[in-house]
Amino acid sequence: MKTINIILYVGLVLLLAFSVVLAEDNETQESTILWIGSHYVDFSDYNKKIGEYLCGEDEWIPELELTYFSRSDNSIFRLDGHFHDDKDIFADARATKGDHFRLSGKYRSFIRQLGQDLLTNVEAREFFESTGNPGGKMLTHELLDPGADYDYKRQEILTEVEILLSRKNNIRFTAAHRSVLKNGERQAIANNHCFSCHLTSESADVVQRSHQIEAGLDAELAGSDIGYRFGYRVFESDAPDPVAYYDPAKHPVHGGAGAEFSSRQVFDDTSVAYSTLPRTEKTSHKVRFKRDLGQGEFASSLGYSIAKNTITDLSSEAYVGSANYAVGLSNRTRLVTRGTVTMLKADDPWIDLPTYRGGAADLNETDFDFTRYSGLDRWDLRFSAEVISRLSPRVVLYVLGGYDRVDRDDYPIWDEGTQTDKFTGQVKLRYRKGLRYSSLVKYRFEKTSDPFVSARGLFELPGYDILEPAVPVSPWIFYWQREDLRYQSITTLPTDKHVFEWRSTYRPSERYGLTIGLKGKYDKNNDLDSLDVQHFSLQPNLNINYTPDVKWTLAAGYTYSFDKSKLPITVALFDG
Amino acid sequence: MFTDTVGVRPLEVNPRHYGSVFTMSDFESKVHNLYMTANFVAMEDLRLYGAITYNKAQAALDEVIMPGVESLLDGDLEDQDFTFETMPTYSDLDYELLNLQLGFEYQLSPEVTWTADGIVADLWDYAPYVFGDETGSYFVIRSGLRLEL
Repeated sequence: MKTINIILYVGLVLLLAFSVVLAEDNETQESTILWIGSHYVDFSDYNKKIGEYLCGEDEWIPELELTYFSRSDNSIFRLDGHFHDDKDIFADARATKGDHFRLSGKYRSFIRQLGQDLLTNVEAREFFESTGNPGGKMLTHELLDPGADYDYKRQEILTEVEILLSRKNNIRFTAAHRSVLKNGERQAIANNHCFSCHLTSESADVVQRSHQIEAGLDAELAGSDIGYRFGYRVFESDAPDPVAYYDPAKHPVHGGAGAEFSSRQVFDDTSVAYSTLPRTEKTSHKVRFKRDLGQGEFASSLGYSIAKNTITDLSSEAYVGSANYAVGLSNRTRLVTRGTVTMLKADDPWIDLPTYRGGAADLNETDFDFTRYSGLDRWDLRFSAEVISRLSPRVVLYVLGGYDRVDRDDYPIWDEGTQTDKFTGQVKLRYRKGLRYSSLVKYRFEKTSDPFVSARGLFELPGYDILEPAVPVSPWIFYWQREDLRYQSITTLPTDKHVFEWRSTYRPSERYGLTIGLKGKYDKNNDLDSLDVQHFSLQPNLNINYTPDVKWTLAAGYTYSFDKSKLPITVALFDG
Repeated sequence: MFTDTVGVRPLEVNPRHYGSVFTMSDFESKVHNLYMTANFVAMEDLRLYGAITYNKAQAALDEVIMPGVESLLDGDLEDQDFTFETMPTYSDLDYELLNLQLGFEYQLSPEVTWTADGIVADLWDYAPYVFGDETGSYFVIRSGLRLEL
C-alpha cells in the first residue's frame, strides 16, 4: 500500500467520523491545541543500538502536534496527531454519536534500525599442536555487504466501527480492520557446508504486508447475550527471495567428489532461494453465549479457525470451546469457574532427502526420508475454580485451584503421544486500610508431570560401532544417522514451580507516597536424570512520590532483576 | 573454492564419532533500573521539568569445565583442544544506558506557550560481540510554540 493511499484512507476515516458526529448537532463546544516546532538530532559513534527506534537528522526538522476536541449534546469527537518527521507519525481519531454509532481510526509509523551480525564468531580452523601447523578443515564467513544499513519502516493502520442496527434486541454490528506494513532492508545469511564450509551475508529487501479484518453481530434475545465474529488474516511478502550459490559437494580438504559427499547435501552446485517467508491465511469463526443461570452468570463460546501456508500448502486447524460460571455463595463469597478445551491438528510434512550414498558403486544406499509429525497436534484442557471471600471490610482472600492437561497425539512417535498434567494452587490476600495503606501477598505453586521435552535427546552415544550394521561398508556417519544415537530428554520447563509476590503502598499524607514490592520465582525439573535444570529470579522494586509544596513534584524508583539458570552444555566429538 | 591445504593430513578412511560430553553451568543476569523525575513551577507562567533514567544490564555464563575426554577418544584427536576456555564469553552482555532530559514551558500569553527540551542519551557496550561495539550516544533538541485556539 503506497503512502498516498494510506493518507487518503486515514483522511477518509477522519472525514467520515467528523461529518457523522457533527451532523444534526446545533451547539458544539470545541477546543484545539496546536504545537508547532522543530527538532534537531545528532548521533555519535554507533547509532543502531541507542537509536533503535529513533530516527533523526542533524538538521532542524519541522514537527507538529495537534489535539482537537469537540462535544455537542449527543456526540464527541477527538483527534490526536503527532508529526515527528515523515517516518515517525501518529494519528488517533475517535467519534461517538449517542449510543448508536462509534468510529475510531489510528495510524502509527516508525523506523526500526537493525544491526548487522558481523559473523566474527563464525570462524574456526583445525590446528595440529604436534606440528604447529593449521589444518585444512575450517569454517569461515564473508560479508557481501559490509557496512550495510539495515532498517525498516513499520506502518500500522487500525479502524473500528460499531453501529446499533436495532434497539429491539439491542442488535449491534461491529467491524475492525488492522494492517501492518513493513518496508526496508534486512540481513540474510546463507550457510554452506562440505567443500567450503562458510557463511555469507547479504542485504535482502523487506516488503511485508499483514491485513486483518474482523466483523460480527451481537444481540440480546430472550434474556441472553449472543454474538458471532468472523475473522480473516493474511500475511505475505512482496520482496524477492535472496538467492545463494551452494558449493559442489566435495571433501573439504582434498576436493574429492562422489556419492559419499553429494548424497549428504540437500543442495550442491546450484543456486537456491533461501531465507524465504511464508504466505499465510487464517480464517476464524466464533459464537458466544451469555445469560443468568440460577444465582449466577454463565458465559460460553465456540470457535473454529484454519491457518494455511499457501506456498507449502500446509495447514492447521483449531477447535476451541470455553465456559465460565460465576456465582455468589454468600454475601461475602463468590465462586468463579473457568474451563477451556482446545483441539489442534496440523498437517505432517514429508521430508524428502537425497538418498544417502545414492549412486555409490557398492549400491549400499540408505533412505532417510521421513514424515515430521507435528508437535502441535493435541487436546488441551484447562479448568480452574477460584473462591473470592471478603473476610473483613479490609481483607479479601482469593484461593484458586487449576488443572491443565495436554494430550499430544503424535509426539514424539506417531500415534504414541505423551500427556502432560499440571496442577496449580494459588493463594492471594489483599489488605486495604482506607487510602493510607494497602498490601497484596500472593503465592502460587505449579506441579507438572511429564512437561514437554525434546524427545530427540541432547546427548549422543559413540556412533561408529552402533551404526555400523546400518551401513556396513561405509565408515562415514551421516547427519541423519545421529538421530539414532541421541539420548537424554531435555527441557527448560519445570516439574515444580514456586511464585511469590508482595506489594505494599503507604500514603501517610497527600504529599508522600511509597510503594515497595518483591517478586520471586523458583522452578526445577526433577525428571531429567542427573541434569539439575533450574531457574531462580528475584525482582525487588521501590517507588517514591513526594510533593513538598505546590511548586514541586518529585518521583523516583528503582528496580533490580536477578535471574539465574542452571543448564547443561554439551559438545559432540568427531574425527572426520 | 579449495580451502588452504597447509598441514593437510592424508585422506582419512577411518572417521570416528566418539559421542558427546556435557557439563552443567550457571547463567546469571543482573539488571538495575533507576529513574527520577522532577517538576518545578518556578513562576506562574514558567514550569521546569527534568528526568533521568539509568539502566545497567549484565549477563554471563560461568566457566565451562568439561570432563576429560581421553577415555572416549582412545588416543585419537590428540592435537585437539577440549578446554572450551572461551565458550562462556559467547554470551557475555554488559551495557550501561543513561538518559537525561531537561525542559521548560513558558507561557507567553493565555493562548501561547513557548516550550523547549533536550535529551542526552549515552550507551556504553563493555562486551562487544555479535554486532561489534555498540557504544553510542545522541542528543535531541526540541522547541516550539503551543497554541490554544
